[in-house]
Amino acid sequence: MTTTAAPALAATMRDGYKDYGFGDAAVRALNGVNVDIARSEFTAIMGPSGSGKSTLLHTLAGLDRLTAGASTIADTTITTLSEAQITEVRRKYIGFVFQSFNLIPSLTAKENITLPLDISGTDVDKAWFDEIIGILGLGDRLTHLPAELSGGQQQRVAVARALVSRPEIIFADEPSGNLDSRSGAELLGFMQRAVKEFGQTIVMVTHDPTAASYADRILFLEDGQIVDEMREPTAERVLDRMKQMGH
Amino acid sequence: MFRLALKSVRHNPKRLILTAIAVALGVSLVAASHTFTNALSSGFSGLFSEIYAGTDVIVETDPESAESDGGDPFAAVEAVFEPAVVDDVAAVDGVDVAVGGIQVAGSVLPPDTGEDAPTDPFAGGPPSQIFNWSGIPEIDQSTLVDGRGPEAGEIVLDIDSAPGLGYELGDTVRIATDGGVQDFELVGTVQFGESNSLQGATLAYLADEDAHALAGDPNFQQISVLVEDGADASAVAGSIGEVIPDGTRAITGEDKAAEETEALDDVLQYVDIFAIAFALISLFVGAYIIVNTFRIIVTQRTREFGLMRAIGVTGSQVRSMILLEAIVVAILASTLGIIAGYLLALGASALVSLFVGDIFGTMTLPIDAILWAYGLGTLVTLVSALLPAIHASQISPMEALRESATSGKKPLKVRNIVGTALALVGGIVIWMGLFLDLERPYIYVGAGAVALVIGVTLLAAQVLVPMAFGLRSLLTRMFGVDGKLAANNIRREPRRSANTAAALMIGVMLLALVATFTESLKTVVTAQFSQTSAEFFVFSAQGPVPQGALDVIAEQDGVSAVVRQGYMSVDLDGQSYQLSALDADTVDRAFDYDTEPEFSGIDGGVFISPDVRDAGVAVGDEVTLEGPEGDVTLVVTGTMATSEEASLWVDWAQGVELAGDTLETSGGMVVLEDGMDVDEAQTQIQDALADDFPLVALQQPGALEQFANQFIDLLLGVISALLASALVIAILGVANTLLLSVTERTREIGLLRAVGLKRSSVWRMITVESMVMAVFGTILGMILGVSLGSALVLALEDFGFDGVTVPWIWLIVYTVLAAIAGVLAAIWPAWRASRLDILKAIATDG
Repeated sequence: MTTTAAPALAATMRDGYKDYGFGDAAVRALNGVNVDIARSEFTAIMGPSGSGKSTLLHTLAGLDRLTAGASTIADTTITTLSEAQITEVRRKYIGFVFQSFNLIPSLTAKENITLPLDISGTDVDKAWFDEIIGILGLGDRLTHLPAELSGGQQQRVAVARALVSRPEIIFADEPSGNLDSRSGAELLGFMQRAVKEFGQTIVMVTHDPTAASYADRILFLEDGQIVDEMREPTAERVLDRMKQMGH
Repeated sequence: MFRLALKSVRHNPKRLILTAIAVALGVSLVAASHTFTNALSSGFSGLFSEIYAGTDVIVETDPESAESDGGDPFAAVEAVFEPAVVDDVAAVDGVDVAVGGIQVAGSVLPPDTGEDAPTDPFAGGPPSQIFNWSGIPEIDQSTLVDGRGPEAGEIVLDIDSAPGLGYELGDTVRIATDGGVQDFELVGTVQFGESNSLQGATLAYLADEDAHALAGDPNFQQISVLVEDGADASAVAGSIGEVIPDGTRAITGEDKAAEETEALDDVLQYVDIFAIAFALISLFVGAYIIVNTFRIIVTQRTREFGLMRAIGVTGSQVRSMILLEAIVVAILASTLGIIAGYLLALGASALVSLFVGDIFGTMTLPIDAILWAYGLGTLVTLVSALLPAIHASQISPMEALRESATSGKKPLKVRNIVGTALALVGGIVIWMGLFLDLERPYIYVGAGAVALVIGVTLLAAQVLVPMAFGLRSLLTRMFGVDGKLAANNIRREPRRSANTAAALMIGVMLLALVATFTESLKTVVTAQFSQTSAEFFVFSAQGPVPQGALDVIAEQDGVSAVVRQGYMSVDLDGQSYQLSALDADTVDRAFDYDTEPEFSGIDGGVFISPDVRDAGVAVGDEVTLEGPEGDVTLVVTGTMATSEEASLWVDWAQGVELAGDTLETSGGMVVLEDGMDVDEAQTQIQDALADDFPLVALQQPGALEQFANQFIDLLLGVISALLASALVIAILGVANTLLLSVTERTREIGLLRAVGLKRSSVWRMITVESMVMAVFGTILGMILGVSLGSALVLALEDFGFDGVTVPWIWLIVYTVLAAIAGVLAAIWPAWRASRLDILKAIATDG
């Protein structure tokens, strides 16, 4: 399933296959996936559990390797790279937001945010940093350790960290999954703003129709294949579509 | 419950591997030393029963009466049996044969000795055993192999020494004694016992008259008795006891062998105690690791225990489960340690046998080795696991429901208070042991040291927090974000880091202590030798330097003075003091003694050291000294600055008045005339001595100083080697802690990898963490060790220690080694951390 190409693509996957295990025990998590992620777009990946949506995110982000097929990040084919080179790609082009445990407990909020820059030894763009902090409302929380922050604040710090190095693409795995609905809505709103105002590219995995409705485009995954796509979603339409898939 | 514990060990054996190795290492020391000494004991008891097997009854000086005389237990046995006594003994009912025995203090020289005189007085080699020949195999304990028994002017040697030294039958054998060198004709060879196992010594027999002549004594030292057939040896011994002089005894050969074995066992027991002491140090260090391991395991399994509690397992059941786990580990580890120890003992005995011959009995694992090993291993493991187990039993069922296992940060306050108290008490007790005149001070010092170490360990956690904070910017500058993360990790679990570092601290502390002590000792030695202006010291391989040898030296061209010095014990006002007699008119030219006035001003009087002054004697007083051979009343004419060498000092002439002929030169000093070439003079004097006194050797002070320093270094080396196992355990501890915290931080490391931290960076992060802990522990250890060593040196100031020398070079070496050890300890954990599967890491639950 191929979508019409946007002027530039942040990430792509061609004929992606991913098997876990060997022989009879082998499970095919991705079964010939073709995906193009356009720049400056907020893409959500939805699907029932076991549909392979997390695997798709992990392989696109270079955290996991495809069994067959090719994927690119910022026009670089990562499927042929060595472990060290992929690490380099992740550091340069990718930001992450996980469902939980996003932060290093021993570092302050500020240190967590600048961690990717510290790792690559890049200077922090002070104006950009202040802008992000301002938008996310973290100004008075910078010297706190993660344990001293609420769940919503922790996820906002994680988003700030993902944004600070202006990566080509941010991958988010159920970022609001552990939050109450108000904090979740807040967080997703920030992510939406990042796409609209700064042209950030975001790919998010979720099973929550409300969360997915913040995206510009939704890809529906079932049995390791992309089965449908939806643009300008609303929560109701997403819910209906999910019901069709038997959920 | 036991099955659960066993399963838990089996389920995750990796986290217990290093703990088990730590216990096993400590235990193996115990097992090895016990096996080793046991084999040594059985080997020697075999030798002793061989020696005394033939003789039914032995008549000898009663060791108890000899000791009660206050005599030197190491002095040569005095010949107390006049020939008539031998006849008396022979006349006792039941006695078949009675033969007087005498041993000659002397050395059988190799044929070519003379030109190639021994230059190292300490490398005497295996001694010579020279006896009179009776011709009765049971009494001589040797049988003729070749030739015949010796008559006047003749000698027999044992079958190994004769060819070993290069003698053949008919050759002239040279024997050196106090009186000079004498020649004998080799007329036979003998075999000692059944296999001639002499442990390398040379065995020689002379005719009675020659033996008496060489010993300078017409009497016998011992009478060997064979009883008539059917007579009871102990009954005969009883009857003999009635006819022999006071202070001597008759003992059966069997009893004598048992007595000797027992005496040896007493000595070997100290070896065991020594080994157990070092094993305890190792296990003490190991205990730190066990505590850490179990504490970390309990933290990691908090949810598991919470769940158990929730489904109805009681707290005490949780506790017993962990303790059972500890016992399982202890038993496995101890078994491993016993096996390793046994192999170690086998290796050690093989090595020793290689050098000194087969002196070992069968290598068996003695029962007390097994008991000690299991006992110590289990005890240490159990005690160490107790606190974590109690902690686990207090986990509430609520813990199971908690989302993330963020353990509450308990403040360090209690720990600090207990630590300060322990450290203070430890310090005070050590001070008491060192500076107050208590009985058995080492108990105070040892107990104090343990308290101090535990106290400092507890306090170290507090020190680590600000230190890691301070190091953070430095490490960040040096290693970037890896360094910063490493510093944070150390700070995060200060207790754990402190315990880990403290394990290393103990070993390093002992090393630094010994190094401080030995370096200070070296300073003393150097200072001593710098007081010397003599060109040579004179020694004899046989003890005192014969007067004849000194005369020979004095006659040589270019020798300006030969200074004699001898020692004896004298009584003054009922108190026993060490007295030194020396050639007062010349000694000032040979050695710069700290006296007032100089020795040349002694004027036939006596100089007194501080301890005698403390007893109330002052210059100008008249004192009466009771020597071994006579009483002398002398005027105190001067003082000596220290009491270390002797308390009283007199001129040689007064020494002779006090001790008569028994005053011997224990060491002499030679002063050459100005402008003499020292090496040339040495060769010349040594040549002159070669004929009659080949065992007398000259040493230049420089060489002697070097030798003394080498000996001190050897001491340091031996103790360092014995501490090696404690250090290895400590390094394992660092690795263990890191390994467990890597497991604990799996998610964190996964996250770091996800956001772009390279494998090499992860590796570096763990390595920096390891190095900081290792160096921190080492520095703490060095501070403690140097302090304790200094205290020890100051406490021993009366024995001539003159200020503390800090072993800077060693301290630098230790620090560098600690850093290297840190890198090594990080290998396994760092490898694990850098290989973590990112996906699994970030998916890990809780």
